[in-house]
Amino acid sequence: MRSLRRYLVTVLIALFTLISFVAALQSYKQSAIRAEALFDQDLQIVASSLLQQHQVGAQQQLGLALQVWQKGQLLYRSALAPETSMSDAEGFSEHNFAGKRWRVYRQMPNDELTVIVAQPLQQRQQLADEVITASIYPVVLSLPLQAILIWLVVSKALSPIKRFSEQLASKKANDLSPVLLEQVPAELDQMLKTTNQLFARLADAFEREKRFASDVAHELRTPLSVLQVNLHNASQQWHRSGISDPEGSMLALQAGVERMSALIEQIMLLNRTNPEHFQARTELLDVAGLCRQVVADWYPQIDRKHQHIELLGLEHLSLRGDAFALRLLVSNLVGNASKYTQPGGTIQLQLSATPDKAILVVQDNGPGIAPEEYHRVFDRFYRVGGDRHQSGTLGSGLGLAIVRDIVMLHQGEIGLSQSDFSSGLKVTVELPL
Amino acid sequence: MLINTVLMVLRELLPLCLLLATLLVWHRALWRHLLWCFVLPSLLLLSLISLNMVWISEQLDGVGLELLYSLLYISCYVLLCISAFNPGYAVWTSALSAACLFSISGSHLLLYIWLPGQADHTPADLLLGSALGAGIGASIAVLWYYLLAELKQWRSSSYQVLLSLVGTRQVMMASALLIQSDWLPAGPQVWHSEHGLSEQSELGFFLQALLGYEATPVLSQLLLYLLCFTLLFWCCRLMEKTR
Repeated sequence: MRSLRRYLVTVLIALFTLISFVAALQSYKQSAIRAEALFDQDLQIVASSLLQQHQVGAQQQLGLALQVWQKGQLLYRSALAPETSMSDAEGFSEHNFAGKRWRVYRQMPNDELTVIVAQPLQQRQQLADEVITASIYPVVLSLPLQAILIWLVVSKALSPIKRFSEQLASKKANDLSPVLLEQVPAELDQMLKTTNQLFARLADAFEREKRFASDVAHELRTPLSVLQVNLHNASQQWHRSGISDPEGSMLALQAGVERMSALIEQIMLLNRTNPEHFQARTELLDVAGLCRQVVADWYPQIDRKHQHIELLGLEHLSLRGDAFALRLLVSNLVGNASKYTQPGGTIQLQLSATPDKAILVVQDNGPGIAPEEYHRVFDRFYRVGGDRHQSGTLGSGLGLAIVRDIVMLHQGEIGLSQSDFSSGLKVTVELPL
Repeated sequence: MLINTVLMVLRELLPLCLLLATLLVWHRALWRHLLWCFVLPSLLLLSLISLNMVWISEQLDGVGLELLYSLLYISCYVLLCISAFNPGYAVWTSALSAACLFSISGSHLLLYIWLPGQADHTPADLLLGSALGAGIGASIAVLWYYLLAELKQWRSSSYQVLLSLVGTRQVMMASALLIQSDWLPAGPQVWHSEHGLSEQSELGFFLQALLGYEATPVLSQLLLYLLCFTLLFWCCRLMEKTR
């Protein structure tokens, strides 16, 4: 169909016309048949009236009463007619006799002769009803047919819209490919074009954003590495030459460059794990083993700070997920816990499961985060207390944002609460099994 | 009577409406062109036949009109074959084909309306009956058009079969007239399905308008029908392949 409006208007008008006209014709035919029967009955009555003198009781069968009066004398009456006059008024009237209501016609051809004919009202109404019912039946019966056909036509007309909405509904969040429909009606054409243009622009924008963040981070990483080497060399040079640095400028510079490097790494990771860009390669993973690996990775730093770390709960827990992303998730949580917990503190990982989800809890006895900050720490570049974080630890404010993205990617949930220790933060991650 | 007028109008208009709807689906992109090409020759042919009807009917031992109608029915079929065979002139030949059928239907209707002695219908009957007949015919044609459009889109071969049936129907009508005029041998009757599916029933009426249904066909009619259907269908297949 080229136009929904044209299709609906023409087909519905055609349907209404066809069904109404056919119903009208059927009514006409049925009424004609009934009328024919009625006229036939009249013929029978006339014939019976003429034969009455020889066949008594013919009118009784047809329900007709007859009287013939001459100068006040009853010359003739049929079986159903009373002995008294059925009507005193000339023309049509209605009277009661013989236990029924009658329609009576009185005719006086001259002053001497009077003919009175009567028919029960019920019989007349029955005949009239038959004719009317015959004409109404086709119209009434056509209504359900019309309703079914209207439903079919409207469903057919709206099928392109339904296909369009189904295609939109079945699209994944990162699927920005155009919607393709066959035989698009004019009314939907512009909507489809605009939607596809929007998808195309959105895909371009995502691609640009993805490439921009990745390119910038990549381009900055090389000079920063060179800067780090040069700073290290300069620091060694100063040390060998006996140049003192009482204000610690060189150390501050090295710390700044180190932080910038970490920030760039985090930006690249954030970019990589963004649900809008990330193409997850899900596989069956042992989360407990993954946690053990992450603890082993972080152990040197934890040991340096004389912190205590423990992994409790299940020794094996399998779930489907992206290995790289989940490892990064656990690593960020353990790294954060280690970074913000004082030397000698405790970090605890606990792994458990319900029938439908895996639960990872990472908690420490560090300073923790005030509950009013919970909803903000997942924002990108947000750091509790700003750059002057009380721990003095280097950070980018991207770690928890990355963690949240990974959890979203796996259709999981993340929550923050007070640690089970006397102080500290408890992070609970729930991932569907 | 009202019912006679309705049946008369429907009998003449329904085959034409079905043919036009079928052709409009075929030449969907050029429907305006098709209608223009249809209107002028239709009016011309109708005028010629109507003005000379008495003279025509007196020719060839009084069967001139029947033979002319047969010729027009056959022309209608042949033009459809040419349309399918030669897509270059398809719109023109299709329009001429419909014009042939229109001239027959139109002259029948004119005859019915103005024939002296047609006392069984009043002007009101004529008006109402024509409206009912034309309304039913046009409505069926609209629904037929959308049904064919769907078929053509999803099952092209079904459309070709229906087009071939509509075209071959004209040959069936021509053969009936030729047999009536003794220009075609009748031969033995092949079957009798009047009781199963009467030509006077609604479905029989529709099938006659669509594919020339006969309750009592004779052998020559049936053979001609099969031959013509095969030829037109082959032309349609050829057209599809060429496209």
